[in-house]
Amino acid sequence: MAHDWQPDFEQLVDEHQSMVFSLGWRMTGDRGLAEEIAQDVFLELDRNLGRMESAAHACFWLRRVTMSRSADAMRRRRVRGLDLWVEMEERHGMRVEERTSPLGARVEQLLATLPEAQRAALVLRYQEEMTPEEIADTLGAPLATVKSHLQRGLKLLRAKAASHLKEYVRVKEQASGI
Amino acid sequence: MEFEPVDEFERELHEALVRRPAPPSLKRKIMERRGRALRPRSYAVLWQRLAACLVLAGALGGAVGWQRHVQEERRKGEAAREQVLTALRITGHALNHMNIQLAAHGRGHE
Repeated sequence: MAHDWQPDFEQLVDEHQSMVFSLGWRMTGDRGLAEEIAQDVFLELDRNLGRMESAAHACFWLRRVTMSRSADAMRRRRVRGLDLWVEMEERHGMRVEERTSPLGARVEQLLATLPEAQRAALVLRYQEEMTPEEIADTLGAPLATVKSHLQRGLKLLRAKAASHLKEYVRVKEQASGI
Repeated sequence: MEFEPVDEFERELHEALVRRPAPPSLKRKIMERRGRALRPRSYAVLWQRLAACLVLAGALGGAVGWQRHVQEERRKGEAAREQVLTALRITGHALNHMNIQLAAHGRGHE
């Protein structure tokens, strides 16, 4: 089917580099790897530019390919026996606590401890503000599975955050001598 | 549709997962790799086209040569056939002539 939309590669990079990079980083936990993934994803976009039907289609395509590439990268890393998130802040500076509230920063770190499928669903939901239906389309998963991942992931994350908060309060109390 | 966090925890999560800015060098690296990827691809396409042209020209030349060879063989065959037929006709005439002479010679003896 013919489409009037003419994609501009450079403009697409400008518009979506932050999204692609953030998805790659949150899924792999490695800033350098996220940058490599982002480069690969955009070069693949360049090769498939003629197939893009609209700006929305390009955005959907970028999210889908980024999630897929990130999953591949994590699989390769697991084969090599590396724990990504242990290295995250040490290797790449930029401590998350500097940007958000203590709980928010901790929540992001706790998110990294969730199973990959739950993390993917939550990242797309809360970073990209996507609906469960859109997440299902992007990940190529059944809607019921995505809803289950969202519910379980959120429940697990709440539990971990509550536990962390108790620990945080206990340490604070000890420090202030209460 | 705007995203609406249900409770405080979801709001915290949403705020924690704000998009991170891409490294300033990311776009430059992408454009450089794109430029590098385009150049070899254009050379490769050029070489592929050249090779395809050569193969096509070779195949066409071979086909034309083979056709000429077949035609030449056929022409030689036709010429040889004509020669054999001519030789047979000459032999036939000679034998007829000899028969007539033998018959005349036989009548002369009688």
